[in-house]
Amino acid sequence: MSGNTAEKIFAWLEERLGLEAIYATVLDRKVPKVNWWFTLGSASLFLAVMQGLTGVFLTMYYVPSPDKAYDSIQYIMNGVAFGWLIRGIHHWGASLMVIVVFIHMLRTFFYGAYKYPREITWLTGVFLLLFTLGMGFTGYLLPWNQRAFWATTVGTEIVGTVPFIGDFLLKALRGGTDISAVTLARFFSAHIWILPAGVVLMISVHMYLIIRLGISNIPSDEE
Amino acid sequence: MNEEFKKKYHEKYLAAKQKGVKFWPDIIYKDLIVSFGLFLLLVGLAAFLGVAQEPKADPNDANYIPRPEWYFLFLFEFLKFIPGAIEWVGTAVIPGIGVLILLLLPFIDKNPYRNWKKRKIGVAVMSLIVIGIIGLTVRAVITTPEQEEVALAGSIAEQVIQGQDLYSFWCAECHQPEGEGGEIIGVEGIEDGTLVKSISSIDEMWTRTDETFYNIIDLGQQDLGMPPYGLGYGGELQRSEIEDIVTFMRYTWDERAEIPEDAIIGIPSLAEGEVPSYEVHISIVAKRYCVSCHRPGKENNEYLMQTYEEILTTGDNADKNVIAGDLESYIIVTLHRESIFDASGEEIIGPMPPSKDLKAEYIDMFERWVLAGMPETADEATALSEPIMEDAGDAAPASEPETGTEATPP
Repeated sequence: MSGNTAEKIFAWLEERLGLEAIYATVLDRKVPKVNWWFTLGSASLFLAVMQGLTGVFLTMYYVPSPDKAYDSIQYIMNGVAFGWLIRGIHHWGASLMVIVVFIHMLRTFFYGAYKYPREITWLTGVFLLLFTLGMGFTGYLLPWNQRAFWATTVGTEIVGTVPFIGDFLLKALRGGTDISAVTLARFFSAHIWILPAGVVLMISVHMYLIIRLGISNIPSDEE
Repeated sequence: MNEEFKKKYHEKYLAAKQKGVKFWPDIIYKDLIVSFGLFLLLVGLAAFLGVAQEPKADPNDANYIPRPEWYFLFLFEFLKFIPGAIEWVGTAVIPGIGVLILLLLPFIDKNPYRNWKKRKIGVAVMSLIVIGIIGLTVRAVITTPEQEEVALAGSIAEQVIQGQDLYSFWCAECHQPEGEGGEIIGVEGIEDGTLVKSISSIDEMWTRTDETFYNIIDLGQQDLGMPPYGLGYGGELQRSEIEDIVTFMRYTWDERAEIPEDAIIGIPSLAEGEVPSYEVHISIVAKRYCVSCHRPGKENNEYLMQTYEEILTTGDNADKNVIAGDLESYIIVTLHRESIFDASGEEIIGPMPPSKDLKAEYIDMFERWVLAGMPETADEATALSEPIMEDAGDAAPASEPETGTEATPP
């Protein structure tokens, strides 16, 4: 009887959502036999999701103002239950993600997987690499400690050396001539809204193309 | 790529697919193993290495050596090879071209082959770039000088202890070891006899916020004769250091604040016949009551008291300041509030500390220490101590710590 009920519920959902079609397209498909290097894409996705989840938890306590940012992180580390773990994962996840995404890019390059028909997958992938670095750069300032402050000072100064538009870029990044509350607000906004939006968009296209084209095969000698 | 090649590619790919595996569960299974491994790695890193503590951002501390996140270090290092006049080539042109090539790689690289054996140039160039990035990163890590560690106080207790040391060093000269204030004697730049009000009184504590204290230390109160101590205003204290001093003041002097027990560092009192050591006794008394003036850059006849060696060997009167077994040592005489005169009858050293008696207990401590020949370590002092009579039974010779402030612990 219960089995019958479950079947009925599934049939009702299937009629409306087309679950079987999704299963057939996404999961139940044949792909070339590949090696362990090919797990790095999903590992990047996994790390991105972890960064997203831990990041959301961190925003519950983090205050993006020069007066409060440092103390709010002290509180996350010492006062919030498992706050140290969430921050620790977010902190180390950033470094790990850069490594994994970079090696994923190298794997794609050395197997020639960026070639026809996967040019656009590559393009979105390079954007994802750049966004990952952008997340690292903007996230680095948020703890508002000495390391963060001076790294961002120098990092934005480098942008300021770009010919002709350097000065404009520097001021646009900092929201003025110096690193201030405006800079922190800007970096925070970029870190939790602008760049993640770009990341989600690019991941969606990237994933769609992977499912549509299938994962690349390991090229044989004559390929 | 011509149509012929495309067709051939699709045929090959189809064949590879047919010989291949199912996405679910074969591929997903491997993916899950790797992701789970990464998860364990992350939790391990967070739990065992944690996140390094850093002092709060201080825009005025220009001594800080900026270091970017490690994955930008290679760019940083790369810039060192670019002459300053054409810095923009290194900061904008080369990275810009690099990113552009990476983005457009599939459209630039017309070679239809995928196997690395048929793309040797591309693979070699990329390998060299990767080796270069790794090499530059390693070089940057090796050549970046160590950041001078600022002792970072995490817990309230650590902040109080650190704040006490900083207070004794920077503030006690005028405000006195317990903030009681009084007459200033012998401080450079301030007229002898200037009165300083108490900063540890109940009035002071209830009406001043932490922020007020912070600002006073940071900016000074120049009309009253107090110079600024913040780095940004010509002083030498970092933001976190000023914060530690404020925490020390609040927790030690404000009756509303409960000081954590592990923040109370007492000066151990001496038992009958016990010999004090520099390590356990003298260093703490000296730190709290003497070094505010007896440190470099102060008017003190060049007599410094920050280390064991300094106490024994520095000063214009080094040979007479501390003489083993001699209670006529200048250090003992001046503690008894007597001045030292030279041959012509001119005062060369006044009573110490200048404006207030040191507690009799601590004077006794210095006397016993000099009489015993200034032992440095606790072991040396124990060896010199008179043996304790057995009648004390189980009473341990180790003495109870005492706070040295009015606020005696329960």
